[in-house]
Amino acid sequence: MRRLGAILLATALTAGLAACGGESDAGQELSDKPVTLRFTWWGSDARHQRTQQVIDLFQKEHPNITVKGEFKEWNGYWESLATTVAANDAPDIIQMDELYLASYAERGALLDLGTAAKHLKTADFDANALDTGKVDRKQYALPVGLAAYSIVVNADLLAQYGVPLPDDSAWTWDDLKRIGGEISKASGGKVTGVQSWGFNDAGGLNIWARQAGASLYDEKGNVTIPPAVLANYWTYLADMAKTGVAPPPSVTVERASAGLDQSGTATNASVFGTWWNTQLTSLTAASGKKLQLLKLPGEATAKSPGAYYKPSMFWSISSRSKHPAEAAVFVDFLANNEAAANVLLTDRGVPANNKIRTAITPKLAETDKAAVAYLDTLKVGAAPRVTPNGASNIEAILKRHTEEVLFGRATPEQAAAAFIKELQAEIDGA
Amino acid sequence: MSALGELRHIRGSTRGSPRKRDNRAALVFLLPWFGGLFFITLGPVVASLVLGFTDYNLIQPPEFNGVDNFTRVLSDERLHQALRVTFTYVVVSVPVQLACALGLAMLLDRGMRGMAFYRSAFYLPSLLGSSVAIAVLWRQIFGADGLVNRLLAVVGIEGRGWISDPGTALSTLIVLNVWTFGAPMIIFLAGLRQIPVMYYEAAATDGASRWTQFWRITLPLLSPIIFFNLVLQIIHAFQSFTQAFVVSGGTGGPSDSTLFYTLYLYQRGFNSFDMGYASALAWLLLMIIAAFTAVNFWAAKYWVFYDD
Repeated sequence: MRRLGAILLATALTAGLAACGGESDAGQELSDKPVTLRFTWWGSDARHQRTQQVIDLFQKEHPNITVKGEFKEWNGYWESLATTVAANDAPDIIQMDELYLASYAERGALLDLGTAAKHLKTADFDANALDTGKVDRKQYALPVGLAAYSIVVNADLLAQYGVPLPDDSAWTWDDLKRIGGEISKASGGKVTGVQSWGFNDAGGLNIWARQAGASLYDEKGNVTIPPAVLANYWTYLADMAKTGVAPPPSVTVERASAGLDQSGTATNASVFGTWWNTQLTSLTAASGKKLQLLKLPGEATAKSPGAYYKPSMFWSISSRSKHPAEAAVFVDFLANNEAAANVLLTDRGVPANNKIRTAITPKLAETDKAAVAYLDTLKVGAAPRVTPNGASNIEAILKRHTEEVLFGRATPEQAAAAFIKELQAEIDGA
Repeated sequence: MSALGELRHIRGSTRGSPRKRDNRAALVFLLPWFGGLFFITLGPVVASLVLGFTDYNLIQPPEFNGVDNFTRVLSDERLHQALRVTFTYVVVSVPVQLACALGLAMLLDRGMRGMAFYRSAFYLPSLLGSSVAIAVLWRQIFGADGLVNRLLAVVGIEGRGWISDPGTALSTLIVLNVWTFGAPMIIFLAGLRQIPVMYYEAAATDGASRWTQFWRITLPLLSPIIFFNLVLQIIHAFQSFTQAFVVSGGTGGPSDSTLFYTLYLYQRGFNSFDMGYASALAWLLLMIIAAFTAVNFWAAKYWVFYDD
């Protein structure tokens, strides 16, 4: 049995190694024979339709290239990507997220886009933006759009309860709690002042750490958020739930797993909510009320700016693509072509390509214009380090410990210690 | 001699070619299953055994790491939580489910009008129970604005978010499993039919109450069937995955209260790129189930009654 095991293991190993060896050159000339590329992304139905239109435009320009789209929901996307990569059957072009970038790049699953420079131009991108797609100084991913964390406020509800719009250039977290409390009281609990947050989103935690002069990870990719800062975060959250400023824990849990359309902001059940600025359009469509973007509380008194530009997503190419040159041409089309941008608009975030951003701004809807304006006027610090290899699950871990705190199964201090230990173990194990 | 015993007697006395022909027919009927086993199942099973002794992140080639994955089991707190959840689920839901199945089988065995309809109606949940659609429906029914809370509101009780509260989330999944009592019920029905009516007639003549009849005749004669159902349902319950995956959105939440063993295994393998450990966990589950089944067979000596 031991020998059989050894033979099987050896077979598996050689199969794996052989798979790594077959890399072709991304800088070669384009083929004039028929080429089929597979392109995968996650998103909503609206995104699928727009992306298909762009694929059609591309195929018209390159008649010998066929692009097959494979689209999924966010949740199923990563399981399916992991299995296709493991089966050596990864799609050629991959829509990538900051959470998973290092996990895939450091394991050699992504192509260094620098080797494809002949077909893929990045001249119209800011150096800062490009840096967000680098791992070990290699450009493994090209940022698609930018987003920034914000507070979305329902101005109609605010007026209904006679509460003035807060001054977002000076407000603090205590102000948010106080104003939220006034609303919950005025509505008799029907509408809560604040929608719970801290779920499914490392953004809020990043901001909280940065305002306290700390950061979630250090440069080497170890967890460095001080336990006290993390404990304060959960104390604040638990306090809001307890005092009725935010909904009770079980409602929060239910909404957190339900998606944007059933959130407190979208259903007009909460007045303030934390969102990425680019979600304003979808939220407005769902709520039907006047929604506005506010800067985050606590920025005026913060030790360092909490706000930062987060790349909404990236384009990556599989390192095992059989047609890296053609894949690079397609990514170039997605990133630099104005006709493509006119279809996509801000669906994948405010374009990180400066030229494209200027070109499409006049064509945007009011809410999208507001999202662009928010980005332009925001005072931001340097972007946090890319999520380290192994920490891709941070949002699930964060959610679980938040639940522990909200349901009183752990104190904020216990949860902080447990969270840090668990996240660090995931990074060490990768 | 019961009909079961009779059957065994007849089969035992069959000699020579008819039996061989029977066996050959059985093999032919089993062929598709064997095909599936050898060409689809066996490969991954062997692969997972090998991977269980490696560190494998799905992207890079696996690295042999001895028994590290198995020693890690001892200090993995989430795994311990998963074991607690799974054992609770098995120990509570299987007996309750079998009791419901037996109770309904006895009601249906009385031979009422529209019996075929009732039998199908009660069997239906078994066909649907492990489907994604039912899990989604469950989520709606037990949600904060769901059917259960609306019904409770009618009688003036304020409900809660059953699936979003760590105190009640697992219970809703147990109820879901109990609801799928149809398959064991059908088997119980068949078993009840095998018990000769004359036993009951004799007992009734001697003045035995219904309860005594149930206790002294039905249960002992049905015990092989109960045993069969028990073994099967325990194995089945240990492997539950879909319901918890859908109801908790793949997280096992809230706060790990529905973290089934299989769900945790899945998370390690596909969300944390930890396939070596996940493979080791799969084999550990196999051993746990095997141990439970072995204990079951050992205990059977003391309560299962074969009437022959």
